[in-house]
Amino acid sequence: MRKVVTVLGTLTVLWIGFVALIYAEMRRPPENFGRFIANVPGPLFMALPFETLWSHARGGVIHAGDVAPDFELQTLDKSATVRLSSFRGSKPVVLIFGSYT
Amino acid sequence: MYEQYKDRAAFYIVYIQEAHASDVWQMSSNVAQHVVFASPKSYQERGEVADACVRNLHLAIPAILDGFDNRTDVAYTGWPDRLYVIDREGRVAYKSKAGPFGFHPREMEESLKRVLSDGHGAEAAVHADDGSRDKR
Repeated sequence: MRKVVTVLGTLTVLWIGFVALIYAEMRRPPENFGRFIANVPGPLFMALPFETLWSHARGGVIHAGDVAPDFELQTLDKSATVRLSSFRGSKPVVLIFGSYT
Repeated sequence: MYEQYKDRAAFYIVYIQEAHASDVWQMSSNVAQHVVFASPKSYQERGEVADACVRNLHLAIPAILDGFDNRTDVAYTGWPDRLYVIDREGRVAYKSKAGPFGFHPREMEESLKRVLSDGHGAEAAVHADDGSRDKR
């Protein structure tokens, strides 16, 4: 009986350690995280509450109600610059963050 | 959705660092669809991948390119993908959970509709179904 408890206890501790490691990696810059997770074997993923960890780790500091950080970025065709604050008082803005891959 | 709301709200794709660069974290599904790109090494290169994206996916929504320092991405924790609605006062009305799990356009649309209807002053007070909302 004690052996079972010891084994289960050890596995639990290892699992918690693994979850903590994954969480820490999730908070790192994308390229670091990408390289790390590319080397994690598939089956190990299934042992993780991935979505929950991900939502927390990538939560960020902005909350609804905060003033949106201003930015000034070029359009793809380089024909114009878009400043977020220029829309204040006129139109709401929808931002879609993403990439091709 | 863009076609439906584009006259009343500004839509922008904020093009950020790649989610699955071939030299970082390649996805077999991307390989199958011939979307294979190494991690861009410059602002110019990122622009080229973004161009390919917009062209091949026939995206109508205008795209803006995040600086190579990723400053906007970091401020908004946009990576790998995320949706935001900014209201007319410049405040965040909606912030999706981190993508890909949190990327729900329909959910975002609900917020957009509220933001669009709020801005009509007295009209909003008459039509609002939420009596507790303050008049702006």
